[in-house]
Amino acid sequence: MSKPACLFILFFLASPSFAVDGAQLLKQIDRNLNPDSYEMYRKIFNVDPDGKKKEYTLFSAKKGRDKIAAVFLAPASDKGRTTLRLGDNMWLYIPNVGKPIRITSLQSVIGGVFNNSDIMQLDYSEEYDVEQVEDAGNEHLLHLKARTKSVAYDRLKMSVDKSGKIPTKIECRTEADMLIKTLHFKEIKDFGGGIVRPSVMETDSPLYQGYKSIMIFANIKKRDFKDEVFTLTFMPNIESLRK
Amino acid sequence: MDVHRSACLSLIVVLLASSSFPEEYKFDLAEIEKKPYDIGGYAELRPSVSLQDVNAAFYKLRYFDHEQRTLLEDYNGKLQLEGSYEIGPARLFVRTNADLRYSHLGWEHGEAERMIHEGYVLLRSSDSLHFKVGKQTLLWGKGYAFNPVAFVGRPKDPGDPDLALEGFYAASADLIMSCGGPLKTVAVTPVVFPVFAHVNDDFGKAGRVNFAGKIYFLLFDTDIDLIGFAGGSRTSRFGIDFSRNIQPNFEIHGEVALIGHHVTKAIDVFGNVSESQSNATSYLLGIRYLTPWDATIICEYYRNGTGLNRHEMNDYYMLIDKGHDLFLATGDSSLLDKAADFSEGNYGRVNPMTDYLYLRITQKEPWNILYFTPAVAGMMNLNDKSLSITPELLYAGITNLELRLRAAALVGRNGSDYGERPNDFRVELRMRCYF
Repeated sequence: MSKPACLFILFFLASPSFAVDGAQLLKQIDRNLNPDSYEMYRKIFNVDPDGKKKEYTLFSAKKGRDKIAAVFLAPASDKGRTTLRLGDNMWLYIPNVGKPIRITSLQSVIGGVFNNSDIMQLDYSEEYDVEQVEDAGNEHLLHLKARTKSVAYDRLKMSVDKSGKIPTKIECRTEADMLIKTLHFKEIKDFGGGIVRPSVMETDSPLYQGYKSIMIFANIKKRDFKDEVFTLTFMPNIESLRK
Repeated sequence: MDVHRSACLSLIVVLLASSSFPEEYKFDLAEIEKKPYDIGGYAELRPSVSLQDVNAAFYKLRYFDHEQRTLLEDYNGKLQLEGSYEIGPARLFVRTNADLRYSHLGWEHGEAERMIHEGYVLLRSSDSLHFKVGKQTLLWGKGYAFNPVAFVGRPKDPGDPDLALEGFYAASADLIMSCGGPLKTVAVTPVVFPVFAHVNDDFGKAGRVNFAGKIYFLLFDTDIDLIGFAGGSRTSRFGIDFSRNIQPNFEIHGEVALIGHHVTKAIDVFGNVSESQSNATSYLLGIRYLTPWDATIICEYYRNGTGLNRHEMNDYYMLIDKGHDLFLATGDSSLLDKAADFSEGNYGRVNPMTDYLYLRITQKEPWNILYFTPAVAGMMNLNDKSLSITPELLYAGITNLELRLRAAALVGRNGSDYGERPNDFRVELRMRCYF
């Protein structure tokens, strides 16, 4: 082979068109999981080692990169409990208490393995930078690092199905690389409106041996909301957004 | 979505359609169907045992004409019902509260005319403009145990700050505006607050229409409220509060209330009544901190500018002692009756004096026991160093059932705030069932 031909082949192999752009891939994953602005319903099952379970039902509304609100519809003991997130700011409204209080992403508004951050998840690309993308056969393995200290998990290891560009598993880790919990994405479902994504997220944690939490998604729909909906003053009225 | 991804996902959907996700974890969409009406609430049983301090001033004042008992048992029941009905942009909401108590004094129940804690019509003109008319709770302020800027609300019980409070009759509106830049939100809440016979008549001077208002800002990630009240039923007052996360797990908050021409009524050891007028400043500074091991620490310092000083409280305790001696000697209860009248004012408040420190530590699910939350709360009167300590165990592992075991110990010498309260020690079990 001639020298110019070898150089051409080397140049072609080194071309960026073969490298995976991690940031772009993460944005694509976000959009495949949810539209930019949407409403959805979720049901959470907290399952004890003896099989006893506790169920919660939530309605959520999200707008753009950093606004999300969720209200508990069941059980009766938690009904009306509302959480609001504006970027790093997070509040909890309890009907009996009657006013919103500031909380942190690390706290849990309900017991169980899920915490506020899992319930009030923003786009991954909003909170994380992609440090590395590994090729793992049928999957990409993304190594994500939190952009700020206010993010609940400092590091994520995200396994992503190459063809569908949707996550199959996320390991949530501390700065010291200790595993806090693992999220397993299951049951791909067509929600309509071009939204095809996992409808079940199962969580287990080495910190809570034997316990697991299961989140089932339903009625995910694109919907635009006014910015005023994502304010402290509107928090007692989030349920009025349901149609 | 590109054609390739769509085809792949369709294949995955078909392949997984027959997968075996357990039936017990299915989400029935009938559960989320929206209904125009909603009914709920809770029923509560709360038996308690308390060790009485028969020499304490407030024991003598309350039980001077009863047989002395060191150990008191009482059984409390509560039923809170809530209901709402929506028609278009309007929502009718009612919350009622019924209390029943059995003790050595017999059966007692809450006043029938105060059973409705809230009852209002909310009209949503748009997502950014709401009107509310009727009995409503307006809980202003950022403090957990105290809210000096809650000018149109009833005072909280710092021993149980999360309890729902009775509201007042008022007309209010919420106008919300979202902005760009560091000022993210502005919300204006004007309130018209009438005080007439049978309408908010326990608030202040009757025959007045009062005006209150709150302007909320979310500015540089800080919640800020400017609050005012004027109208004559109480003296005019102005306040400001704030709350901000300075770290993701560390929040600070504060409130300042400036109260003009506050009138303090005092009673001396001989039963003479005096009045003084002055401007008062009440304030609060607090933190909420989440430790790496999931304990939440709330600490608040409260300066009650309208509180009584040690001299005034000592005079009051001595008046009760004197009145009690007079009653035992002659059967004349006039001094005690006079003291009892004052216990419904400043002297009988939960925090009657000027400086208090509140601390609450809540440990979420220790030893990985889910839904189990032990906590301990302490309140110290910094003026006389008396204090109350309240440990509690909360378990909420059974759906819609909450169990709370709580003890309270009051520590203080004679003549001190907590030393002169009727209980020395109290244990109660609260069983609350939601429906």
